[in-house]
Order: sequence, then structure tokens, then C-alpha cells
Amino acid sequence: MNVAADRPGRYGRMMTSVLRGTLRLDVLINRIYPTDFNPLYYTGGLSNLFLLILVLSGVFLFFYYVPSLGGAYDSIDYITQRVPYGDIIRGIHRYAADGFIVAVLLHLFRNWFTDRYLFSRDNPWISGMILLLFAGFIGVTGYQLVWDDRAVALTTMFAAMLQSIPAIGPLLVRLFLGGTGVSDETLVRILMLHIFPASTLYLFLWWHYTRIRHPKIWPPAVWVLFCVGLVFLLAGLIPATSTGAAAPAVRPTTLPLDVFFLWPFALLNVMPPGAVVVLLVVLFVLGLAIPYISRREAPPQMGVRHAGVAQVIDGNCTGCELCYYDCPYNAIIMVPSPAPGLSKAAQNRTLLAVVIESRCVECGICIGACPFEALELPKFLERDIRAQVTDALRPAEAVRS
Amino acid sequence: MRTAYRWGILFLCAVALVFALGIVVGEATDRWLFGGAMIGGLLIAYSFVLLLLRKMGLVGPRKAER
Repeated sequence: MNVAADRPGRYGRMMTSVLRGTLRLDVLINRIYPTDFNPLYYTGGLSNLFLLILVLSGVFLFFYYVPSLGGAYDSIDYITQRVPYGDIIRGIHRYAADGFIVAVLLHLFRNWFTDRYLFSRDNPWISGMILLLFAGFIGVTGYQLVWDDRAVALTTMFAAMLQSIPAIGPLLVRLFLGGTGVSDETLVRILMLHIFPASTLYLFLWWHYTRIRHPKIWPPAVWVLFCVGLVFLLAGLIPATSTGAAAPAVRPTTLPLDVFFLWPFALLNVMPPGAVVVLLVVLFVLGLAIPYISRREAPPQMGVRHAGVAQVIDGNCTGCELCYYDCPYNAIIMVPSPAPGLSKAAQNRTLLAVVIESRCVECGICIGACPFEALELPKFLERDIRAQVTDALRPAEAVRS
Repeated sequence: MRTAYRWGILFLCAVALVFALGIVVGEATDRWLFGGAMIGGLLIAYSFVLLLLRKMGLVGPRKAER
């Protein structure tokens, strides 16, 4: 389905106005910060920064955490009250998690509004959606690990949501709880469900970067100092606290809910657990489908041409690597040259460019990068371009004559 | 404008010194939350110092932008 084709104009106009707003915001921030310090250009890097802070502070907390019904709350209390700077590290872990989600959401909306999800960029988009899903899940299990009365209520609500899934619900609940009810086993599983998905985030990040040639994976020093400082400051000024110790027999009437991670649980006030699960699944699937359904223009309107995958002309390639560095999609790799080239410049080459067909988007950037005429788009040859340029110039020549 | 930036940096350095003293006080009195907040304040002050240095042109743009 193509939204632009079904409803020409309406969706496109809305997205264009959002794009203009995003660019205006860029210009505004560029007036305050130099362009290389504009935080909106580093939302992905900022996410990485917060993720590293989470990992480092998480390792610290892991040393002291006891995953058992009797020990979890007390160990968190010990970290907060007795371990030097433990309360600060706990606060840093808490606020870096919020910072991570804010940076990820900024990254998502910015890339959505500026159309950076089309064609070959669907790969980073889909891996990004999975990263977001995992991040949300890790946040929920983080709140459960504290094992205060909020954690008990969250665990109960989460089990109810799992239970509502047809056919496999009861099995999932048993897997999650480690039995028929909450036990020490449950805390061990929640800890694993916190740490294991957190570790796999780096695997998905690798996938996220696979097809991006020059990803900005780290923010400039100004923003590293500011963000690290901000989480320290917040941890000191508004310490992360637990609610009361878990008392499974007492059902709390109100719970403080984190707006970034726990909003699905707030929906349970107005919707049955099954409906919340369906809503989450629909949101996730829609998120995955954005590259395919939410184009403001159809490919013909964008003037997309099918030029064919770039081809290396073996005899002309000198192994200079210019195309390799210029390709924004990591579609060109350099391999040891099996034999010298045919042209004079290619006689002493040691490397040979090879195009990975599945990654090539037929953009022609490599053609422009190559000074040795060693690359071609098979359905859009240089002579065709020359002919087009000549045709385009013809009226001007006629007017001049 | 450079003079304003210079005064800004001097002011931020003074603020950073106060935060540094705060870290010492927090450590000496075992008030870890206070000490932690002071570390945060110090880093934020440094970030603004770096921003002003960049605006003055003393820390350069990336190589590609020169």
C-alpha cells in the first residue's frame, strides 16, 4: 500500500510541513550552537552515550544486587544507603535510562520527519524499531528488579498481559515467573530479562550501522560533558527512590508510573490486558511498516530511476579506494586484486573494488567518485547522461543563436 | 563579542571552582548526593566553557569543515 498514491497530497503536505518545522528548528539551534555541536545532528550518538552510561552504572549495581525475594529490596537499600556514592550511581542508572529513551525518540522522529527511512535506509529503521522495543522492555524489567510494592504490582500486571495472549499465554506466564507463582526464581528471570536484552542491544546496533558508511556514533565533547553532568546533577538533586517494601498481600491503590517506560501499565486503568497487548503489537507493526507505507511521494514522483546495480569495469580499476570511501551505503568493498588491470593506471594495483549487489541503491555516487572510469551504472551509462545534458542545453543554444 | 565570551569563560571557571569545592565538601562530610550533584554541576560548567571556546574559535571545527 502506498499512502501517497491512495491519498495524494494530504499526507504529503502534512509531512512536508513537519519537515519544514524540523529544518527551522535546525536553523534556530545552529544560531546558538556551531553546526558541528548541534545536538539534533547527534541524536544517535547521544543514545549511544546514554547506553554506555547505563552499561557502566549497571555493572556497578550488578555487583551488589541480590536477585531473591528477600534480598532484592534490601540489596537496593544497601546500595542506596551504605555503598559510597551508591545512591548517585543508582540515580545515574535511572536518569540515563530516561535520557536514552528521549534520545532514541528524538532520533526516531527526526529520521521519520526528514525521510531518512526510505529505500536502503529501511534496514537501520527496522533495527532501530527493534532497539526501541528492547529498550522499553529493559526499562520495565529495571523497575521490577527493585522489588518494591510498585515492582510487585508491575509483575502482576505484566503476568496478566502475558496471560491474555491466546494459546501461549499460560506458558509465557510460567516461563516468566519460573513456576506457578512469584518466587526467588522470578527475580533471577527478571534479572536475566534485564541484562540479556541489554547485551543484545549492541548486536542490533551493529545491524543498525551495517549499511551506513559514516555513522555519527558519538556526540561532540560538549554534549558528552553536558549529558554526563546532567545525569550526575539529577541523581544528586532528585535521588532515585524505591516505594515501600514489597508486600504481596497488600494491593497498592496508586503507583508512581514512569512516563517513558510504564505508560502501557497506565492504560490498564481503562483497557483490559489483552487490548493493551494488541495495541502494543499494532504500534510496533506500524512502526516497522513506516518505510513502506508512509512515503510522502511515490517513487515515480521522486524521479527514481532504475539504473541497475553499479558494475566495476575490472580493467580500469586502480584499487584507489575512492569509491569505497564515498559509498554511503557500504556497498563497495576492496579485495586483493587477483591480477593487474588493463589500463596503464591499473597495472600496479593491489586492490580491486567489488560491489555488494544487495546493498547498492543505484545512486551513482561511486561513478562520480571514480576518476578512472572504472564504474558504471549499466542502465544509465555516461553517454546517456551526456545525451541528456546536450538535450537540456539545446534550447539555450537555440535562444543564443 | 570575543570579550563577552572571555568574561563568560571566566565566570564559568569561577562557578566550576565553586563546584569543585563542593565536591571536596561532599566527600569530607560523606554527603554523597551533594558531592555527586557537584560533579554534575562541574561537568555542565565545563561543557559551556568548551562551547564558548568553540565560539571564540580557539577549539577548531572538524577537519572536514576547515
